Amino acid sequence: MSRTLPVLTVTAVLIALWYLAVIPMNATWEYDQARRAGAELPFAEMVARTMAQERPVLPAPHQVVIGLYEQTVGCDAVGRRMCRETTPLTVQGFGQRVVAAFTSNRSLVYHAGVTLSATMLGFLIGTGGGILLAIGIVYNRAMDASVMPWAIASQTIPIIALAPMIIVVLNSVGISGLIPKAIIAAYLSFFPVVVGMVKGLRSPDAMQMDQMKTWSATGAQVFARLRLPMSMPYLFASLKVGIAAALVGTIVGELPVQEGGLGVRLLSGSYYGQTIQIWAALFAAAILAAGLVGIVGLIERRVLARMGMKR
Amino acid sequence: MMKYGWAGMAAALGMTAGMASAQDAVTLQLKWVTQGQFAGYYVALDNGYYEEEGLDVTIRPGGPDIAPVQVLMGGGADVMVDWMPSALAAREQGAPVVNIAQPVIRSGLMLVCWADAGIATPEDFRGHKIGTWFFGNEIPLLNWLSQLGIPTTGGEDGAEILRIGFNVDPLLQHQADCVTAMTYNEYWQVIDAGVTPEQIVVFRYEDYGVATLEDGLWVNEANLSDPAFVERMARFVRASMRGWEWALANPEAAAEMVLDHDETGAQTLEHQVRMVREMAALTEGSTGVLDEAAYQRTVDTLLGGGSDPVITRAPEGAFTHAVTDAASME
Amino acid sequence: MSGLLQGQGAWIRLGFGAAVLAACWLPRAAGAEPGELTLIALSAALALSVLVPGVALAGRAVLLLAMGGALCVAGVELAFGQTGAEAQGFWAAAIALWLGAWLLVALVADLPWRRGPWGLIAPLVFGATILWAWETVVRALDVPRVILPAPSEIAARLATSSETLWIDMLQTFGRGALAGFAIGCGSAFLFALVVDRYPFLKRGLLPVGNFLAALPIIGTAPIFVMWFGFDWPSKAAVVVAMVFFPMLVNTVQGLTATEAMQRDLMHTYSASWGQTLFRLRLPAAMPFIFNGLKICATLALIGAIVAEFFGSPTYGMGFRISTEVGRLSLDMVWAEIAVAAALGSAFYGVWALLERQVTFWHPSQRGR
Repeated sequence: MSRTLPVLTVTAVLIALWYLAVIPMNATWEYDQARRAGAELPFAEMVARTMAQERPVLPAPHQVVIGLYEQTVGCDAVGRRMCRETTPLTVQGFGQRVVAAFTSNRSLVYHAGVTLSATMLGFLIGTGGGILLAIGIVYNRAMDASVMPWAIASQTIPIIALAPMIIVVLNSVGISGLIPKAIIAAYLSFFPVVVGMVKGLRSPDAMQMDQMKTWSATGAQVFARLRLPMSMPYLFASLKVGIAAALVGTIVGELPVQEGGLGVRLLSGSYYGQTIQIWAALFAAAILAAGLVGIVGLIERRVLARMGMKR
Repeated sequence: MMKYGWAGMAAALGMTAGMASAQDAVTLQLKWVTQGQFAGYYVALDNGYYEEEGLDVTIRPGGPDIAPVQVLMGGGADVMVDWMPSALAAREQGAPVVNIAQPVIRSGLMLVCWADAGIATPEDFRGHKIGTWFFGNEIPLLNWLSQLGIPTTGGEDGAEILRIGFNVDPLLQHQADCVTAMTYNEYWQVIDAGVTPEQIVVFRYEDYGVATLEDGLWVNEANLSDPAFVERMARFVRASMRGWEWALANPEAAAEMVLDHDETGAQTLEHQVRMVREMAALTEGSTGVLDEAAYQRTVDTLLGGGSDPVITRAPEGAFTHAVTDAASME
Repeated sequence: MSGLLQGQGAWIRLGFGAAVLAACWLPRAAGAEPGELTLIALSAALALSVLVPGVALAGRAVLLLAMGGALCVAGVELAFGQTGAEAQGFWAAAIALWLGAWLLVALVADLPWRRGPWGLIAPLVFGATILWAWETVVRALDVPRVILPAPSEIAARLATSSETLWIDMLQTFGRGALAGFAIGCGSAFLFALVVDRYPFLKRGLLPVGNFLAALPIIGTAPIFVMWFGFDWPSKAAVVVAMVFFPMLVNTVQGLTATEAMQRDLMHTYSASWGQTLFRLRLPAAMPFIFNGLKICATLALIGAIVAEFFGSPTYGMGFRISTEVGRLSLDMVWAEIAVAAALGSAFYGVWALLERQVTFWHPSQRGR
């Protein structure tokens, strides 16, 4: 791929800048502590210390990587027994550790799984609802005129304010656990799908619509054989945005529910001042999002290639 | 040691005599996340005290976006742990919550300030930045400042209030001169971060007469007219107090139980053991019965909040001894 | 297509009629809703809706106005006239009103005037119906005020706390969101120009930027508060992080939106990179740039509000929302949410209007 070298270069430059930034950001604390202890702090020693702080203002990249490792398949995450009996250096050992990590709530793998389940459910609900709404908007003028502006306005409401209220209301009618989180994820992911599908369903031009008319196609046939296939590229573009939005929505929805998940892990790292835990959870969430978008992208390439719409 | 008028054995015997074989479901909503602050309840759960009383208890942890009163009013819980100031304020807002027990009888709230910020007495809060949590936790601080006559608008004569998150970074990063802390939690986080006690100055609310009652058990008033509910709560309170007694005698084991229930996997044993030990200081001597004099002191403190009182009139019927009376009847 | 619509209108009309009949026939408690006035108003609306198809355009507008008025009367009665002793007739009347409003929207959408302010009527009617349904259900089911307040209470709070709301708006939008939007979109635009100049950067930076954009804001907001302090700079920083990447992607895409023929033409004029940029590629990129600006407009305010959840001085929209939830003043929370939604939509609308002025030539700006 012609993109490997540029990506590697850019990543390397960013990491180098990151290392450089660690020093001034963590320096204040080091000098403070030295001053209180009445000791002198030479520059080289200060630099070394800033790279190994327990509560850094900006953790060094190696600290984040080590933290990620330790919190996914490290000893702390999989339990003492697993730690003694397996080693991550062999494929089998690594696999055993990953399996153990799925059930241990000290591991980011478990929390990522919790977040993933709510994200997928919310994404399905949001996509389904979004497609139905888009069909309604395209085929019903009343809906187009009245619902579309409100769909746009709904995205200006900060979901982080609504999430606790939605959860309390749903709990009061007996729905708790996975479904409220999924509903909040669906709320955030339905809008990109609506916008994309509306654009896609309206993308056939006049010539193509006329062609269908010359073949005396019924409304359903026009939908199934013209509008729907032509909207596939737009749909997939919105699905990529939508799945990332569903992940954000799930993380927001986890905060009031407090039953595990990357969002809860992010916040609890924040309460106990475990900066590296915050950064590890943050990167785990980003990796999850990138992975999900990548999977959707893969499906997109396959489907569009089979439909003859290579991009 | 805790003073009890009843023996656990007598309670268990009384229970087995005429109890239905099916367990009654009770849901407890905590005020904050799973931690040693609520050790007594987790101990009662893991040691089977609730089971012995014929109760099937679900403990729901709280968090930054969870208002226990909302959960209670929405029917998501039967009983909640909440601090008295926020519960009384909610009562005045129209949410009919009633106190049925008060396990924690001393306040663990304090302000931690940098010694070199020049704050030696509360009067020195003027011209400094104080970080506090909100969501009901700001009430004691705003109350205190109001009583001292210190405006909260900042400037030279007032204190600038910052809303901080639930950690001590604002103090450590010198973004605030003082921060709110609990004796059992945040204070130790400051120490763990490498700060020595000589570098900080602490102001405990208890020492300045502005302390208010903290963790208490509250229920929805509408449920109290049902005698079966009262009886269920009595069993719950009794088992919970047994749990607290055991927890305070066995802090390490209690901390391990708390850790077992921690969904986030983010807790450390050392921190939780310390927390449970500190809770011992706050619950020592408590029987779970709400002391009317302490209640009145809290109400007076809240009413005397100067220009911005937390509650504007004395609450009526905000607590009941019916449950604790029923609990000690065995 | 229009045949389908005609059929739909008929079904709604049928349903509306059936519901009105049910409201009249089903048991009603004396003195409670639906009262005489409500039933008369609903029947009038039904009659007017039947007349509409047979009348010419100007008359139709008058009839729809009258129908709207009748529905308003019925709606106000149903929402505020409840006595707590309602029976089944009440729910039939509520369903009748819902269907009547739906019918009104369908008939209004059928009118040929869609441009400009006329296009706002249908969404306004729809929005009013939602608010009415909210008010009625909250009152009818006796929902506790600490869980969900009624719109009338929220409106009252908007009126009494307008000064607080104004201060909050200045802090969050005026300082945090606007500064972040300006810095974020401006720097993203400049960065896109650099990326465009050096394709090596484009291939390397966009995938990395994709990854960085996937960092959830819930996690980055507390970190930024820790770095930049509690006042508006940290909020602006969060907004910059949120808007930078979408704006960058859109601008880069826009800069590649010219056709080879057009670029060749500039080449024949021996135009430099800068001249090509300003005279061809930037104007051609405007639709994409405005798309990016519109997206970022809604993101900016949300980013500032979310950032305030994690530390702020004691004013600001995010601060107010999170603390008032703790104080159970949900009417204040919803008032702030309403202001945030209105402000976000208005900011979006500003850029949409500007877009229409600048990119008047683009196919998407023509009617459908």
